[in-house]
Order: sequence, then C-alpha cells, then structure tokens
Amino acid sequence: MSGILRQPAEVTYQAELEALKAEDIAKKPANWALSPQAVVTYLLGGKTKDGIEISQKYFGNRRLIETAVATLATDRALLLLGVPGTAKSWVSEHLAAAICNNSTQVIQCTAGTDENQIRYGWNYAQLLANGPSKEALVPTPLYRAMESGTLCRLEELTRMGSDVQDTLITVLSEKMLPIPELNQAVYAQKGFNIIATANNRDKGVNELSAALKRRFNVVVLPLPDDMDEEVAIISKRVAEMSVGLDLPMPKDAQQEIVKVVTIFRELRSGETLDGKVTLKTPTGNLSTAEAIAVMVGGLSQANWFGNGSLDAENLSSNLVGAIVKDPVQDKAVLEEYLETVLKKRTGYADYYKTINEVL
Amino acid sequence: MSDIHYFGIRHHGPGSSQRLLAALQALQPACVLIEGPTDCSELLPLLAAKDMHPPVALLAYAAEDASCSVFYPFVEYSPEYQATLYAIHNQTQLAFIDVPVNIQLAKYLQDKQKEQQESEQNGDSPDDSELDQAPTNISERVSDHALLLDPIGELAHLAGYEDGEAWWNDLIEQNGDSNSEIFTVVESAMQALRDTISPAHPGLARDLVREAYMRLEIAKAKKTADGPIAVVCGAWHVPALKAKHTAKSDRELIKTLPAKLTKKNVKATWVPWTSARLASSSGYGAGVDAPMWYHHLWHQQAHPQRIAHWLTLVANELRQAGQVVSTASVIEATRLCQTLAAVRNRPSVGFEEVREAVIACLCFGEASIWQQIESQLLLGNQVGHIPADTPLIPLIEDLQGQQKKHKLKAEALPRELSLDLRSDAGLGKSILLHRLTILSIDWGTLGNSGKSRGTFRENWTLAWQPEFSVKLVENLVYGSTIEQAAANKLLEQMQQEKSLSKLASQVNLCLEAQLDQAASQGIDLLAQRAAHTSDCIDLLESIAPLIDISRYGTARAMSFEHIDALIERLTLQAAIAMPYACRNLDDDESWHYRQAIGDAHQALLLTDWTCEVEQQWWQSLKFIVESNLSNRQIAGLSSRLLYQADKLSNEELDLLLGKMLSPAIAPADAARYFDGFFTNAVDRLLYDDLLLSAIEHWLISLEEPSFIEFLPLFRRIFADLDSMERKRLIDRVLQGRAQGPSQWQVNPAAIASWPQQLDRISALLKRDKHWQQ
Repeated sequence: MSGILRQPAEVTYQAELEALKAEDIAKKPANWALSPQAVVTYLLGGKTKDGIEISQKYFGNRRLIETAVATLATDRALLLLGVPGTAKSWVSEHLAAAICNNSTQVIQCTAGTDENQIRYGWNYAQLLANGPSKEALVPTPLYRAMESGTLCRLEELTRMGSDVQDTLITVLSEKMLPIPELNQAVYAQKGFNIIATANNRDKGVNELSAALKRRFNVVVLPLPDDMDEEVAIISKRVAEMSVGLDLPMPKDAQQEIVKVVTIFRELRSGETLDGKVTLKTPTGNLSTAEAIAVMVGGLSQANWFGNGSLDAENLSSNLVGAIVKDPVQDKAVLEEYLETVLKKRTGYADYYKTINEVL
Repeated sequence: MSDIHYFGIRHHGPGSSQRLLAALQALQPACVLIEGPTDCSELLPLLAAKDMHPPVALLAYAAEDASCSVFYPFVEYSPEYQATLYAIHNQTQLAFIDVPVNIQLAKYLQDKQKEQQESEQNGDSPDDSELDQAPTNISERVSDHALLLDPIGELAHLAGYEDGEAWWNDLIEQNGDSNSEIFTVVESAMQALRDTISPAHPGLARDLVREAYMRLEIAKAKKTADGPIAVVCGAWHVPALKAKHTAKSDRELIKTLPAKLTKKNVKATWVPWTSARLASSSGYGAGVDAPMWYHHLWHQQAHPQRIAHWLTLVANELRQAGQVVSTASVIEATRLCQTLAAVRNRPSVGFEEVREAVIACLCFGEASIWQQIESQLLLGNQVGHIPADTPLIPLIEDLQGQQKKHKLKAEALPRELSLDLRSDAGLGKSILLHRLTILSIDWGTLGNSGKSRGTFRENWTLAWQPEFSVKLVENLVYGSTIEQAAANKLLEQMQQEKSLSKLASQVNLCLEAQLDQAASQGIDLLAQRAAHTSDCIDLLESIAPLIDISRYGTARAMSFEHIDALIERLTLQAAIAMPYACRNLDDDESWHYRQAIGDAHQALLLTDWTCEVEQQWWQSLKFIVESNLSNRQIAGLSSRLLYQADKLSNEELDLLLGKMLSPAIAPADAARYFDGFFTNAVDRLLYDDLLLSAIEHWLISLEEPSFIEFLPLFRRIFADLDSMERKRLIDRVLQGRAQGPSQWQVNPAAIASWPQQLDRISALLKRDKHWQQ
C-alpha cells in the first residue's frame, strides 16, 4: 500500500483512462491522449463498449464541459471561473489527466508568485561557473509543458500580481517564451495549452487585464441547479466531515439541512423556491461549500455547547455569519427576507426568532 | 388524372423552405395547394403585391365580435409564403385547402357562448371533481400540443437538440441528395410519430377533421387540374393525407363541424406583423424560438461564412450594450463554434454552439451578458408592411363601431366634452378615450379642470386628425380590437418599464381604461420589480398611487387583496431601506426624499395597515430621528410625523428639539431640521406652546449673520400661513412676551373706588343714556 495521501487523478483513474483509450478511434488533436469526445465521457461518466463503468467526475451541465474541451482543442487557453466550491480545480485536474495523462504541471499562483516561477529561473551555481546557457536555466511547469506539448495548470490565476499575470500574454498569443538573456526562445509544441482557474467573486484579487482576458475562453462553473442535488451533496459531505471531526450526527439533521439549503438557495437566486416572491441577494456568494460549513459549525456547537440536538438556535449564528458579509447592506437584505418570507412560513418560526435575536 | 405530390414542411423553417422551392422547381406543378383556410384563398395573390413586406399575417375575425379572431403569420422564410410566391410568379393554380375560417370562427363563438353559459350556471360553486381533473388535463394537453404544433422540433428535442432547425439541417438535409427523398424521409418519421398517438386522443380530434377536409379539397382539385399537384402542408399531416379514406367517411367527419358563419359575418384581411410575435415565447403556438436567427439562415443559407456573419451581428449588439468586443474575439468565437460542433459530432454549427461560443469568448463566461442582448438579437424588431389598398382594417372598423355606440363623432375642430363617470354612457366614452390615448391616438385630451369637481367628472377636448387612422394601422400588431391592442401595447410598455412609480401609474391607467387583465399582470410585474428595486425613493413613490388604486377602487371586478398585499410588502421594504437611504444626501435629493416620505405617509395613514407594517414604519421613522447620520431635513420631517401621531411624547420632543437646535449644532444643520419639521406644518405653531417656545429659543440664539443667512428659509416656511394666521402667530408671540412680569404697579389708593368704577364702565357698555362723565 502506498503511503501517499492523495494520488494524482491520472493514477487514481488509470483504469478508466486506459479503457477509454483502448476503444477510442475518433480523431485526436495533436499530442492528445484521448479524443475530445472521450474526454467528455471521462468527465461526465458513462460506459465503454466493453462494459467498463466510467465514474462521473463532474455533476452539472454537459455543455459547459463540452465548451471547455472544445476550447482546449483549439489553441485558445481555458479559464474556469466560479465561486469557491464549484469544482474548478477538480475539473482542471481531470481535464489535464485525460488529455495529456499528466495533471501535475501546476503553478499555484499567489500574491508572492514572481515571473521566475512562471517563465524560468536560474541555477546560480551554473550561471556563475559557466555564464548564461540553457543548462543554467531552471524550467518551470509552464516551460516544460511548452516543450513537451502538454497542458499546464494555473491555480487561482487572479491571486498573483497583474504584472506577473501579463507574462502570459506572449505565451498565449505567440505560443513562445522568449529568453532574452540567451537570445533564444522556447517554441511550444503542438498540444500545449493552459487551464487556469479563478474566483469571480472574491476580495483581494487582481483583475485580469483586458489583453490577457481576451486570450482566454471563459467557462463559468455554476452552483448546483437542483435543490435535491444540493441537499444530497451537503448531506454527504457533512456526514463525512462529522465522522472526521468525531461529531455525532443527530437524526433530525436532514430536515435542518433542507431548511438551511432552502434559505441559501432563496437568497442566492433572489426568489423564493415557489417563484412567487422575488428577493434581494446578499453580497456573499452563499456557495454549497458555505452551506456545508454552516452545518458543520452548527453540529459542533450543538455537540460541545448544546444538548447534542441540532436546532435553529445552533445554526442561526452560523447562518448570519455566512449571509451577512457587509454589515449594512446584507443586514437589510436579511431583515427584509425575514420579514417578508420566513415570518409567514410554517416550520421556520424558530429560525425567524433566533436569527432576529442574533441580528 | 393528375398525380399528387405531398410536401411535408416545417412551419417557418428556412431549411424546409429552401428544399420546397427546389422541389417545386423540379416538379413544375400546375396547381399548388397550401394548408390554410379555403375561404381566404382570394387573399393569397396579395402576398405578391409590391408593397407587401413580411412578416405579415392573415387575420380573420367575426364581424360581431372582433376579439374572436384567427391569425396566420407569414415570414419570408415560411415555406407557405415561398410556395405562394412561386405559384403566383409561375401563374399556377393556387388555393388553400384547410377548414375555412367561417367554420373555425363559428366554432370559437360557439365555445365562447358555452363557456359563458357554464360559468353563469356554475356561479360561485364550481364542481369540485372538475377542479381536481383540470390540472392533469392541461399538462397532458401541453405536452401533446408541442408534438402536434412542431413535430420536427419535438423530434429534435428527443435527439438532444435545442433548435429544430439545427436538427433539420444535420439529419434531414444530410440524409438525402435528391429533394424528393427528403420529403419521404420526413414523412416516414412523421408516420412513426403518429403511430405513437392513438387516434382516439382528444388532442388529435381536431386534426382528424381538418385532414378529412383537406383530403376532400385535394380530391376536388384533382378533377380540375391538368398537371401535377403540389400539396404544401405541415409534415405532420402528410401520412394522414396520403392514407386511403373514402370520400363518404370524410364527409361524415366534416358533418361534425358547426354550421359556417355567413360571408357577411366574417372579415379577413392582411395585417402587419412583427418578428417578435413570431417567437413561441410571445404565445404564438406554432412560433419559432429565434425568428432572427432563422431570418439570418434564410438569407445566408448558401454563404460559406454565415456563422461569421451572425457572430458579427452578435458582436455589434454587444458593443451597443456597452461591452468591449474585439474583432479578434469574434474570430476566436467562430473557431470555437466549429470545434464545439466537432466535439458534439454535429456536421454543421447550430444555434446552440453559437450561443455557447459567444458566452465563452465574447461575454467572458457571463451568461447574464448574453441574456441582456438575447431578446433583442433573437426576436428582433422587424415590422411587416401591407399595401395601402388592403381591404378593411379591423381596428378602424372597431373604432367606427364604438363611435357609433357611444355617439361620438370624429370632428377635426376641437370640441369640449364633459363626462360623468357615474353614468354608463359617460364611463363608456371615458374608457374608449383612455384606450385610444394608450395607443398614442390623442383624439381626446384630458383637461385638468375636472379635478376640482370631484373624481367622477372628466373634461375632454376632442379633435380628430386624419393621421390617427394611420396610427391605428400601426397598432394592428397589438391586436384586432381597440381593447386588445391597448392592453397588449400597455403590457409591452409595462414590461420595459424599470421605475416602480411609473409602473404603478401605468397600472392605474390600465384601470382607467378598464383593461383588467393588463392591470393584474401589471400588478404581478410590480411585485416582481419591487423585489429588485433597491432604490428606496422608487419604493416610496410607488406606495401612494397603489394606495389610490386600492382605496378608491373601481367598479371593476378585480381582486384588490393582491394590491393590499403588495402595498404591505412595498411599505415594509421601503421602511427597512429608509433609515439607510436617508444618509449622505445633498439638499436636492433630501428634498425629493422628504416629499416622497411625506406623500407615502399621508397615503398610508388613510389605509388600515396591519400592525406589523405600522410598527415597522414607525420604527424606521424613529430610527431616522435617533441616528446622527440621517439627513437633518428628513429627521425633522420624521420627528414631526411621529409627534403628530403621538408616538413622541411632549417631553421627548422637547428634549429632541433642544438637542437638534442647540447652539453646538451647525446653524445650517439646525436650519435643515427646522425646514423638515415645519414645511407644510407651520400652522402647528399656532396651537403648540412647546414647539413655539423651542423655536423661539433657537431663533433668538442664532447669531446675526446666520439669522440673515436663513432669513429666506424662514420667509418661505412662514409664507404658508395666510395673513390672518400670521397675525395670530405674531399676537401669540407678543402675548407670550406680555405675560411676563408686568411693569405696572397696583395703586392701593385706587382699590377702594374700583367697584364704583366698574359700575360706571358697565353702564357705559350698556349705553345707558343717563351716563355722564
């Protein structure tokens, strides 16, 4: 048994990838391991002709994945945009695994990322001993991907400084990386491309410059469309996490999850589930991940400070924390929601009361 | 004997049109028969008239009730239109073969009467069992309806396509090289589809009769025609038309149809149509999803770069909406379309691919940007045109009928008309004039003088201008009667209206023009917009007109419960938003707010508001007063409103006024507070000592320069008092001064003689003749 905590996707799903490859006779773009159709099947699940089950990696709209794969098949770069917790990095990893069988060429972009980590660095011992030469270069994942004609992944692109981001412009439009020190350039091999991920609703990010933005095709990954799907995702994750945190899961948790998801979805979508009343939306993004956090927070509070049963009282303070991100604006939105919707709804009286208390 | 060729088409399908034309060219028929009402055949040649520009529609209506009407829209890319043009240009025989409108309208009228009778009979107690069944029936009907209306579109949906045209392109067009083969393929598909529906299905009953009628008409044409006959009809009907039926059984079926209306009772004509109303979203059953996309396909069908053309249109539209779209991005979008089609294994780029490529490349992944331009782009704003000599315009006819009914004559010279709305005659006239105003036909102008005499009187000035007839024709796109047209037009305007208060007054207009349905839809719209509005002023301003509607009501049977609930919601929303909205305002804005809050408050006092709304409202006003950040003018107004309603005790007010007008407060702020408090309420000073003394204190404490600075303000506020009141105020102020310790001393020496003096005075007052000095 291997001691590695988490294997990359191409190792974990090796069997599926091989099964798909074995029967893939459709035309492949240069340097692709699978045809675009097979890549879509790999992500969305299905069955090969030999009856091997391909598990579903992404739950959601098929067209989005098709657009993403089609983008990579042109020479345009792909930018996956979405609020946190919408499986951007997950999709990016699996796309890279399916297309070039290597999802490990990753650059994690942060505010501290500089150009040397994007383009190339120098091996200073070599540089001092032999002067500038190709041998003294330290290649980055991007450099390697260009040379080998594979995919490079950039995580959280907007977190790094704008000046560093713009290094990518030449790479994306001319598919080459100049090395002015050597009067040389790295020319990308066919099959090279970039998958970047970014948050579209986050603070402290550096907006992409227009020049860079228009070199990407953008696919926005949305929050789950369907109430039941979201409840299922949350129940599953909360159950998993409660085991990990040693928190016992009360029996009535399911119905509280439904209520919390209802509140989240109504505020997020700006209308009540029955579509009768339209609402204002708060500034926060109220993602599925946050709903999970609210539930886990409530569980923890119920376990350590309450009598172990999960109720509105435990959840309310967490709910308010998740919804009210801007103390003035969001508070008004929540108040309006309480007065116009929750107050009259049966079964939500305790939420109305306890949230009002917290406010 | 002549042979018959059946061409199953897709209504409003450009691809289908193209193929049909090619097939007709190859066949050279002697006779073209088209699915459409037989008694309108004589109107067909008009389609080829020089000034006839589609989209146009064939309109037939019952003369006695113009709202009972049927439309047959034709666009440039409709196969029926193209077949008609072909027949006229080649001088072949041309005729419609479907059930005539006089029978269809007779049926409508029958149904309508039956419905009325039923609703009268059922009255207030509808049968429970019927209620239970209704929903399931409807949903069933809808699903089958789609199949019956656009079977090809349905097939496409089954195949995972969103757009029937793309499916037609990919499957039908790719599957056969010769034109006739295509129609065979379509026919067998339809046969398969029809096999899934049992002939006894209620949705099919109407079709079966129609098909029997068409078979008979085709047989009739067969006898007279010399040469091949081309039958152009919806693909759905082809298997049935080809099937063998005896003429006898067909006649039996037709006998179930009601007796036709006499020719005099049916009117038919061409009317201009709009591209937007071809869309299925506009409620047109056989409509298409994206008329403009089809329009584009029809014009660029053979063009190798038609996708690039379309994307350029999209880019232009986006640029007009304020987005930056570079040519390079358009190129990328074109490439992505093609790759996407390849990934989906589709032979050509369809509408869906284009949409997704546009979102990914031109809208930076934001679907909302696409939605902004979507309706403009896909529905378009094309308006058809009909020749001037087209017979009969139903709206004009309707107007003439109404004029006769209400005894109003169209005269060019202005004439005064005073209406009493309590009488039926007056109300009828008023409604007609209001409706015409909505259609921007200002035959009557409503004078203001009516207001002073009560709400039941309206004074109009009537003047007819010849161009009004032209305007009526323009309004034909909205409907065939004045009522319908006005309702549709106002509805369209309301849907585009962003401001709540304007929307509320439009709803009011609906009620005045007695357009109940439009009014209730307007109220729904209001409810929707209300939630999206964060603009407090808009919320406040919409409250008063709504309360007007709910208070004064109308003679009309409309549920005002709905309005009351809406008012409650708006008030709550406004109340919650108010405290935050009343901060950081400049003087102009705060004046605006003050006005809005005052009006809304006045109106609210007249309603019986529920206790939670009331509570919230007062609470917000209190919050405004208490918060230091609130605008002073509004704080002033709020304190007065609270005080007037006894929500603020004398002591509290005293404290508050002292605080707000204390010397530490900048004179400008104090003046604003004063302004807010006393504007429109300065007469309170006459009765209220507390207020008077507080104001006096403040005025006296003002330094001379600031006093002079605010003099105009004081003048403006005190100008609300008339001269008598002003005098009383001055008296009170001076009297207050006089009541202070007097400088006069009582003379003890005179006290003794006082009773005597008193007697003398009373004698003088009684005019005693004996009185002397």
